[in-house]
Amino acid sequence: MARVKLSEFRAKQILGEFLGEGYSGFPFDTEKDDEQKIGKSIKQGKSYVVKVDQGVKKRFRQGLIKLDLKTSKDISSAISELKKQGFRYFLIEEFLPHDETEERYFALERTSSGIVAYFSKKGGVDVESFEGQVQELLLQDAEDAKKIAIELGVKTEGFIEKLIEAFDIYYFSFLEINPLVISFKTPHLLDVAGEVDSAAEFFVEKWNSDDFQDGKKDLTQEEQNVSKLSEKSQASFKLVVLNPQGSIFMLLSGGGASIVLADEVYNLGKGHELANYGEYSGNPNEEETLIYTKNILNLLLKSNSQNKVLIIGGGVANFTDIRITFRGVVRALGDVRDELKIQNVRIFVRRGGPHQDEGLALMRKFLEENGIEGEVYGPELVLTDIVSKALEK
Amino acid sequence: MLNIDKIRKSQTNIITIGSYPAIIASMLDFDYLSKKEKPSIKAIIAAGRKFERYFFGRREILIPVFPSFDQVPESKRLSATFFLNLSSGRRVLTSSIEAINKLPALVGGAVFAENTPEKHAVELKEYAKQKGVFIIGPSSVGIIVPSKIKLGAVGGVDYKQIISAKLLDQGSIAVLSASGGMTNELINILANTGKTLSFSLSFGGDRFPMVTPSEAILAAERDPQTSAIVYFGELGGKDEYHIAQLLNEGKITKPIICYIAGTVAEMFPTSPQFGHAKAMAKTTEETAKAKRDALKQAGAKVAESFKEFVKMIEKIPRPTPEVKAAPTSGVNKLSKKDIIESMHDRNHALISTSISGYKEGKVLVLGEELLDFAKNHSFAYIVASIFLGKKIKSRELEEFVDFILRLLVDHGPYVSGAVNTIVSSRAGRDLVSSLASGILTIGPRFGGAINQAAKNWLVGITSAKSPSAFVEEFASKKIYISGIGHRKYRSDMPDPRVAEIISYSEGLEARFTSFAREVEKITVGKKGNLILNVDGAIACVLLDILNEKEGYSVEELKKLVEVEFFNALFVLSRSVGFIGHYLDQKRLDEGVFRLEEEHVAQAEIED
Repeated sequence: MARVKLSEFRAKQILGEFLGEGYSGFPFDTEKDDEQKIGKSIKQGKSYVVKVDQGVKKRFRQGLIKLDLKTSKDISSAISELKKQGFRYFLIEEFLPHDETEERYFALERTSSGIVAYFSKKGGVDVESFEGQVQELLLQDAEDAKKIAIELGVKTEGFIEKLIEAFDIYYFSFLEINPLVISFKTPHLLDVAGEVDSAAEFFVEKWNSDDFQDGKKDLTQEEQNVSKLSEKSQASFKLVVLNPQGSIFMLLSGGGASIVLADEVYNLGKGHELANYGEYSGNPNEEETLIYTKNILNLLLKSNSQNKVLIIGGGVANFTDIRITFRGVVRALGDVRDELKIQNVRIFVRRGGPHQDEGLALMRKFLEENGIEGEVYGPELVLTDIVSKALEK
Repeated sequence: MLNIDKIRKSQTNIITIGSYPAIIASMLDFDYLSKKEKPSIKAIIAAGRKFERYFFGRREILIPVFPSFDQVPESKRLSATFFLNLSSGRRVLTSSIEAINKLPALVGGAVFAENTPEKHAVELKEYAKQKGVFIIGPSSVGIIVPSKIKLGAVGGVDYKQIISAKLLDQGSIAVLSASGGMTNELINILANTGKTLSFSLSFGGDRFPMVTPSEAILAAERDPQTSAIVYFGELGGKDEYHIAQLLNEGKITKPIICYIAGTVAEMFPTSPQFGHAKAMAKTTEETAKAKRDALKQAGAKVAESFKEFVKMIEKIPRPTPEVKAAPTSGVNKLSKKDIIESMHDRNHALISTSISGYKEGKVLVLGEELLDFAKNHSFAYIVASIFLGKKIKSRELEEFVDFILRLLVDHGPYVSGAVNTIVSSRAGRDLVSSLASGILTIGPRFGGAINQAAKNWLVGITSAKSPSAFVEEFASKKIYISGIGHRKYRSDMPDPRVAEIISYSEGLEARFTSFAREVEKITVGKKGNLILNVDGAIACVLLDILNEKEGYSVEELKKLVEVEFFNALFVLSRSVGFIGHYLDQKRLDEGVFRLEEEHVAQAEIED
């Protein structure tokens, strides 16, 4: 994995704690929490905000933020309304009325040259219309933070410095505070969007994968299975369902080759028929490849399409063993051989790498023995030609 | 900075951090097929075993394994020029920095692991830059310079791939890609069109590669052997704009052929995350299409489809004359066909040995033909050399071993080993059974004290404790100090054998012997019979001779203790005594030995 969105709740909690201000907002999961939680968490006489906390952009414009809710009944009815639109995770925090002129924009991003700050005196929902006013600064020394504080009118000593430090030590990759409201005693982080580097989970105690709002919870069963498989394995597996009723199913290997092959389907004008994107790499073992293939075959057999084709494609591997991985693929195919025949699924293979001769022979034997239509090639065939062969019919 | 010419001119002495047997094996196959006389991998940093077994051609070799850089022998450490980091993502930063710090002759390295934190990659890149070394990766299959170095999985892990992808012939085309799989795909496309590589590397698919596409392309531009560049990129990131800028500024003059994958992303409302961490277009700028256009405008040859890309590669003119692999003083003079024949049925041996074996029909012991070995050396020399696994260097060790072997031969029929041998012999058992029953008593309480004493003296010297603190530690735990104490001899009635043994340390600095004597001074102050005994004396003198005359480091001496080397001389010598007792009993023929009732006490345990 790479950069993933952190829930706004956790991002604010981490930053609030680091800034020494704490954070009083609380999360609400419609699958786990009930109204009692709201009643216990809110205070009489205060007003609250309900926000969808699922990494969605432009929430305000889409009406995914409900303002000025006074009772726990107001809050829960706002939540159930948003739940009907398919949302599950919410953030509830105190409503802080302020003037639009007090809204600033502040963001940080990790780049190959270091941390870059983006900031503007004009923040808020319309920040995109202020294009050209957002300044960009590669942070190099302590003076830079002071410069930003002056520009934004932040008077609290060390505030920007602390945000930058928290960003760095908690392995944030991206952090956007929009708006940053400066009218209160200390500047207030009104809306926060944070991305962290999932590869750093081992090094950080403040967040873990449970805090990610990467949309994983909305995935199909097959996508979830593959995601779990990938987490547990030294190898890497990815699966994105694009069109469950599509006719072109892809069992691809290699990060680069998989894009080239998906591109080719698109270039041939068959993008709408593409059922999935995905890839395995990093020399998975037979069992793992078997599980991965089963999930793709599950999707394939469920599709309503009448003209299904499975493309098993990849470049010439460096260290992924073709004999071992294809053993897993062939076992998974063997488990559903009858259904594959009934549905007239065609199978096209192009692959190279260590022990390719044995692996490709295994595949040929399977197609022949089961009378399944298809073709099997090694590196002698141009990588993308397998797509045109598969789509000829 | 990445400098391909420097890599070609450097020695290739590689240390791997972590182990990935298939990758290591392929690097050794590459070395062998490139007709190198010696394998390029000099050491593996990993926990567990002392060696890993690999093939070099058909021959099996042992690559030494060390738990950390500190245990790597000085000569290997100082001469190492490259590292390959095969450890996990979370260990990449610390272990790579250690490699940079501990390897003064380092030219560069490659990092294989996926899931290295972005922050670590940025920090490591900065550190490498300061130290003037290059690091490729993370999540890179590495770099290959034909017939010179294969640092990673790049080019394949099957020796057949190395041959079919023409990785043994130096050519003139650089292949560069973030994707490891596509790097190899392109290497193969080149090979199929009869062209060969000047070098190839994969930056890795992470967001912040430590050698960036632009830096790799500039390295190709500077490389005198490269005449054209093939570049495969993906959607996501802005590297291609830097490349375009370099083209516009005239900093790239060599023809560059590109393909940027990822147009399929146009289908989706928001760009999905593809296989590589970086492969995600957040802005229009980062799409495949926009990057292709930028490169095209800057004068690169940009393919619109992969097929077109392949055609462009086919059209790259072959430079004349094609640079051929310089013939090295070859160990293998076989043709390619013979090599494939000879490598395809390699099987690992069931055991390995470094002492003796057949070679061309002759029995060799430590590299010398058996008969010569027997004729040219004393028994003590042979024993010490075979026990240590290499020919000894010093007269001192030979003489001392000779003396010990004579001295330890027998110590009367009273000791447990001799008693067992005698009882077995009288019970009518054969030579080997009787000898074995005697030898089987050798252990912590009988005869095994030399090894334990050696361990004590080593601990004493390495912990830099004072002799009195050393003694106190034993006293407080109420345990005996092996090597100290005798049943009969006392400080006022010294053991004459000990004086004789100690005389062998004359003329040496004798750190271990001095320490043992200091310990003795303290213990005899407590009790008169706590003198340095024969076991303790042999141990300290042996340690001193091995250390000073044979060049064994403290670490190496510890390993000798672990394998019980110090007891081996006792076992060998005392076997002579046991055999003597066996034969003696057979001659005397006393009949079976049996205890009478009066010899056995009925133990009554008081509550």
